[in-house]
Amino acid sequence: MGKKSSVSIAKDRLKALVVSDRVHCKPDLCDKLNQELYYTLSKYIEITPEDFNVSVTRTHIHIRITGEEQ
Amino acid sequence: MGEVIVITSGKGGVGKTTTTANIGAGLSQFDKKVVMIDTDLGLRNLDVVMGLENLIVYNLVDVIEGSCRLRQALIRDKRYENLYLLPSAQTKDKTAISPGQMKKLTSELKEEFDYILLDCPAGIEQGFQNAIAGADRAVIVTTPEVSAIRDADRIIGLLEANRIRNVDLIINRIRMDMVKRGDMMSVDDVTEILSIPLIGAIPDDEQVVIGTNQGEPVISSGSAAGKAYLNICKRIMGLDVPFMDLNEGRGFFSRLSHMLKRN
Repeated sequence: MGKKSSVSIAKDRLKALVVSDRVHCKPDLCDKLNQELYYTLSKYIEITPEDFNVSVTRTHIHIRITGEEQ
Repeated sequence: MGEVIVITSGKGGVGKTTTTANIGAGLSQFDKKVVMIDTDLGLRNLDVVMGLENLIVYNLVDVIEGSCRLRQALIRDKRYENLYLLPSAQTKDKTAISPGQMKKLTSELKEEFDYILLDCPAGIEQGFQNAIAGADRAVIVTTPEVSAIRDADRIIGLLEANRIRNVDLIINRIRMDMVKRGDMMSVDDVTEILSIPLIGAIPDDEQVVIGTNQGEPVISSGSAAGKAYLNICKRIMGLDVPFMDLNEGRGFFSRLSHMLKRN
């Protein structure tokens, strides 16, 4: 296989678009936001990149630090 | 006291008008008194999809401006008892009415009808603001495409900002053969991104095009899309209906020809 399905491309693009629409930023800023939040938090608490996840809903920004699903 | 439901999508061409027509016809078959209002001023369509275009005398703007009584503008659909249409004006534009006037009209209609369905124009401008002004709840129509889903997400945000909290999702024109190949987002993919409750998934069905050609809703055609719309009507009425397997909707021959093509 190896080749990415068109659905996974669509989902990646859409997730970036939706987040940027929700917080009014450029689509490529989402990665930066992720990185900087990670950097900031890692100064104060112990986290690993694998367990760290930021998700943006219409009303909240959720930061997951344990890797566990809620 | 009736319920006002706005059918909206943001993007055009995803099936709002077809959805309004079929939900309207479907609800009326469950003995509900229904009025459908075409709020797309200047681009009148719902009358054509319903096959009622030759019966129009007065329209929404006439009612709002007081040029006729509400009752005179309502077109009764002879095929479906309890189903009425308030057509849009073809020669006016979105500035002819205001959100306040729409709100007044819908609250008046609530006294007499069980459901008031508002077919919303595409976009997020005044036509949209007019359509959502009096709405108690909203149904978002989208297709499994990036642009349609993106617009749907914006619309959901705008509805929340306007304090319409009861918002459900319809995903239209799903092609299971493409979903299986990984070339079309699935119902779950779309629902996950938009994160609002799913109220229906409509398979891409030729019968919808045929019905539109004829000016007939598809709910009585026995087609897969027709069944899906009837299930949506039941869910709107608050019934708990299991979601149908979209693969079942395909006839034996289309499945067979699909299998042969694949091999």
